[in-house]
Amino acid sequence: MARYGDYTRDPCPWVILNDTGGAFAMGAIGSGIWHFVKGAKNSPKGERIIGAVTAVKARAPVLGGNFAVWGGLFSTFDCTLKGIRQKEDPWNLIASGFLTGGVLAARGGIGASARSAAFGAFALALIEGISIAASKFFAPPPMIQMPDLQPPNANVSGT
Amino acid sequence: MAFAKDAPNDSHDDRTYQSPTDQFGQDPVAVSDFLGRVNLNSAQIREIAGLGAVDYIKFDEQGITPGALPSRGVMDDLCYGTGTTYLAGLTFGGTWGLIEGLRGHTPNFKLRINTVLNSVTRRGPYIGNSCGILAMGYNSINGIISSMRGRHDAVNNVASGALIGAIFKSTAGIKAATTASVMCAGVAGAWTALKQHFFKH
Repeated sequence: MARYGDYTRDPCPWVILNDTGGAFAMGAIGSGIWHFVKGAKNSPKGERIIGAVTAVKARAPVLGGNFAVWGGLFSTFDCTLKGIRQKEDPWNLIASGFLTGGVLAARGGIGASARSAAFGAFALALIEGISIAASKFFAPPPMIQMPDLQPPNANVSGT
Repeated sequence: MAFAKDAPNDSHDDRTYQSPTDQFGQDPVAVSDFLGRVNLNSAQIREIAGLGAVDYIKFDEQGITPGALPSRGVMDDLCYGTGTTYLAGLTFGGTWGLIEGLRGHTPNFKLRINTVLNSVTRRGPYIGNSCGILAMGYNSINGIISSMRGRHDAVNNVASGALIGAIFKSTAGIKAATTASVMCAGVAGAWTALKQHFFKH
């Protein structure tokens, strides 16, 4: 039942802000850790901390912003498709991934845009497929339903 | 067919769900007679549930802050706050870049578009990213301080603003860090005052 609409997500215009912020936080913190380690490794021995902090200062906000733009565009397309199709299903998410990838690479021409769009759609299809498989695997077995009893007044006019 | 004989007063066609007039000729009782007097707002239902009388209704255990900016906790504040601030910064920086790019006289239309795009994508993300980092740090520190102190008040907000300002400019020297700290504390205090004045009514 949880597949038919995720009840933990907020309604559609506001969820775009939520997704943008969440994506920014994920990108900034994740890339902060990554570039801290990378900056420390690539620095000479006495200056590892300075090198790490400099790398984080340079790269973490940028990656946070990239993730935020990706997440915000994705959520916007998702809400738009939900509004147009009046349905909630995995195809909305896959199409949103396709459109987001395409728009973000649009400045590089049709070829780059199409490649990026295909990659986005593929990534989302993978995520959705895993999510559906996991929910089917962990779902409880379907309950056996009692057959509907005939209502007592079905034959009230008879006899 | 076996059921038809057992059917009682044949009130199945009756849509008003009243009990039939009983043998003493008293007025029938309708559902609205007793449900109309019941006043079950959510606060009373919570009380009844607390007494153990209604145990099959699940309530949201998390509180929601009142007012026009409802928030279910630190995650909501973090995500919505960071998202809104990032988009606001992006818009402001993008406008700045737009104005900057449109200035100057380029003969070619395509060149002009290229210049404008370049300046928008230089200024916009820079301001947006910085605002996003500030907002993210502010909300995270605010969450940590609130959970440590056990309460939410204006002191938390101002202290979080001061800390994130100091951290943000910490590598630029003591003077820059102090200036940034005071500025961010001021903005945080102004935002808290604005929220309390406009949204808590």
